[in-house]
Amino acid sequence: MSLEDEQQKTILLVEDNKADIRLVCEALKNSSIDYQMEIVRDGVAAMAYLQQEGEYASVSRPDLIILDLNLPKKDGREVLAEIKTDAEFKRIPVVVLTTSKNEDDIYQSYELNANCFITKSRNLSQLFTIVKRIEEFWLSTVTLPPQ
Amino acid sequence: MSSTDFRLAVTTIEELERQAIHNSRQIQPHGMVLVVQEPELKIQQASTNCAYAFGITAGEMIGKTLEELFDPFQFDLIQQGIERDNLDFINPTKMWVRKNGGEYVIFDGVFHRNRDGILILELEPAESQESIPFLSFYHLAKASVNQLQATASLRDFCQIIVHEVRKVTGFDRVMLYRFDQDDHGEVVAEEKLPQLESYLNLHFPASDIPKPARKLFSSNWIRLIPDAHLQPVELYPAKNPQTNRPLDLTLSILRSPYPCHLEYLHNMGVGASLTISLIENGKLWGLIACHHMTPKYVPYELRKACEFLGRVIFAEIANRQESEDYDYRMNLDRMRSQLIDNITQADNLVAGLVKDETDFLDLAAATGGAICVNGNWTLVGETPTEEELNFLVQWLYKNIDEEVFATDSLSKIYPEAEAYKNIASGLVAMTISRRNYVLWFKPEVIQTVNWGGDPNNAYETVNTEGTLHLTPRKSFELWKEEVRLTSLPWSSAEISNIKELRRAIVNIVLRQAEELAILARDLERSNSELKRFAYVASHDLQEPLNHVSNYVQLLEMRYGERLDEDAKDFIGFAVEGVSLMQTLIDDVLAYSKVDTQGSEFTVTDVGAALQKALTNLQRRIRQTQAQIEVADSLPALRADGTQLMQLFQNLILNALKFRSSAPPQIQIGVERQEDEWLFSVQDNGIGIDPQFYERIFVIFQRLHTRDEYPGTGMGLAICKKIIECHRGKIWVESELGKGSTFYFTIPVGGRESELRRRTAKNYSLGGGQ
Repeated sequence: MSLEDEQQKTILLVEDNKADIRLVCEALKNSSIDYQMEIVRDGVAAMAYLQQEGEYASVSRPDLIILDLNLPKKDGREVLAEIKTDAEFKRIPVVVLTTSKNEDDIYQSYELNANCFITKSRNLSQLFTIVKRIEEFWLSTVTLPPQ
Repeated sequence: MSSTDFRLAVTTIEELERQAIHNSRQIQPHGMVLVVQEPELKIQQASTNCAYAFGITAGEMIGKTLEELFDPFQFDLIQQGIERDNLDFINPTKMWVRKNGGEYVIFDGVFHRNRDGILILELEPAESQESIPFLSFYHLAKASVNQLQATASLRDFCQIIVHEVRKVTGFDRVMLYRFDQDDHGEVVAEEKLPQLESYLNLHFPASDIPKPARKLFSSNWIRLIPDAHLQPVELYPAKNPQTNRPLDLTLSILRSPYPCHLEYLHNMGVGASLTISLIENGKLWGLIACHHMTPKYVPYELRKACEFLGRVIFAEIANRQESEDYDYRMNLDRMRSQLIDNITQADNLVAGLVKDETDFLDLAAATGGAICVNGNWTLVGETPTEEELNFLVQWLYKNIDEEVFATDSLSKIYPEAEAYKNIASGLVAMTISRRNYVLWFKPEVIQTVNWGGDPNNAYETVNTEGTLHLTPRKSFELWKEEVRLTSLPWSSAEISNIKELRRAIVNIVLRQAEELAILARDLERSNSELKRFAYVASHDLQEPLNHVSNYVQLLEMRYGERLDEDAKDFIGFAVEGVSLMQTLIDDVLAYSKVDTQGSEFTVTDVGAALQKALTNLQRRIRQTQAQIEVADSLPALRADGTQLMQLFQNLILNALKFRSSAPPQIQIGVERQEDEWLFSVQDNGIGIDPQFYERIFVIFQRLHTRDEYPGTGMGLAICKKIIECHRGKIWVESELGKGSTFYFTIPVGGRESELRRRTAKNYSLGGGQ
């Protein structure tokens, strides 16, 4: 294992709803992967975090972004579009995790180059499984280009 | 009046017109013509008969001045007169010419400048030395006009004119001849010697007074032929030295008539004639034609008096005619405004037009009317059948460009119309828009037209000594013609009124179209709001439900060991309730997604849609051991494939769900009806009580508890909405315990054809529904 692999990973969760935030955290509670969860509550904050502006001046760059679509201030679709057209950020994997099952949302997200689109399950154990798999897959399974 | 057209062969017409030019250099021999060059007043041309008055030949006259021919007193008068712009001030001038031997001959001298500006002096022998005083004109006219004011009809007016003219002139026969639209004429009034044969009410073909002659009558309002048997005389030299052409004698009073016309008069037994033009709005309306059996000379003043009489009386006629027209027009205007009011109030063209059927027909003085809107007919009065009308409208669409088209003999241009000549020989067609028409009809009226001689043989060509000549018919005996396939004519007032009506209707229709467009925009907006609402429902309503569900489950997962059975039951109910709520939201969403907007109807294979539904249901089918039988061949039709699949899926799922104890047997059939496909899904399930046939299709309506049969009560409501979007119908036939059959129809042409049909029925233009 290389030194880089052992480094702590950063997940940026962009989600406005406290209940959802807590659920994701609960799902990852007993994860074997060493990660740091950073949370922003709206689209503007998400972009500020990535660009390390203001209070985010010294944050670390995320290895995975979990993005809700319906966000205050700046919509998740806009955030996705900005990330995926920015030369610096476009390689960061973005998982859209949303309540929506709307077909337009799904098409649009992939059009904007989301790495995957996942609908939140009503079934708790299913939801937990999904969240864990997201983490495992994007943080340890796939090989991503070096930063 | 008849519109029968007796056209002369083209060559004959040309011949007649050629003669007009050919003969214009000749004059009648009872007078003399001197062509005078200004300002010296030198003779340029003279008629060859001037030796009679002047004692020298025409050749010798050339180059002489008027001063040399007339005495100084007369010459001064002439010279002063000519210098004035208006020659009427010196016309006529009594002129004395001293013949050899000192004898004076008195002439009426009339000057005019022809169309080349050349001054022409015409000398006619004066019968009396006295001028008719102006007062006699006045009395003549006043007496006649007074009579006119007490007279009702146009014919009576005309009768008074011929009476007065005959009284003043003493002609054997005086007729008033009126031109019809096709330029043939009819004698509408006549006064004559009793022994003469009457020409009253006889028609004369247009070729009797051919176009060049009519043109001459328009510019030269009075024409006298005192002796139709005299040989015309020539001018010397033949060509005018100034123009190097034969002299233009259009405005000359002495100009010789065409030989053909003279022959025509001979054949009628006429020795002398006087013709006075009646002009209305610059157009030749008719003629006062005076005939005498023997030569007859009418002095210039008397002719002028007759012309004056004709003008004055005719002005009165035109005035009276206008006011009669005016009353009729006003009446038509009133009816039209009433119709337009009706249309506006009814908000429906057809209903408004036919609200008062009498007004609708009277507007065109018609006996029948038909309105075609989007292929639907509304008929009023006597009309051809709808089938005949459909062909007629097709023909109109292809052949007629006018917005308002009128004919009094439809079958002449559209032979198929002969089949219904008794209903529609006359037609007025008003186009509202593409293939939308309002039509008015009038039946055939067989009219007898009395011709003065056979109009088919008005002229013949005769070959004399190798030259072709035209010769008019010899007989003017009554020749009766029956005019068929023709209705009474449409008046110009009716036609212009219908044009007005059309303008008003087009405005109303345009306004309605605008209102519809606004409505469509509103609908579009509310539709997109609904879509937005649906999205909110799918996302924002689901989210809190997910939270309830997830956290209740989390409670159970973390603290399950510490909870008793009751607590676990309660959690179970909470989870179940949330889950049902989520299913309901999903179904309402599915229901709201079924709409016609946004989904493109394409030719869809029903078999493929059904197969997809069966694939989706294959687990349930296996579990229930259902037997499913599908009709051999399923059609392809214009539909939304996904909706069709959902429709089959819901219906089959119901058949599986509401099964009896026996394994489900499901038959899917199809049958072609007249203009739709009839599908059926038959099962052997528990059946439905007839009282619930309607209820089952209503949103959220269920016949059983969820414990017996799970579900939201949305399945059939969705089916119904899908079928409605396809403009079809859905219903059930069933017997409790014996199974149910669900039927649904889809129009053969798909939504579009049905849409067209419905639009025709419901659109505000449409009526009768």
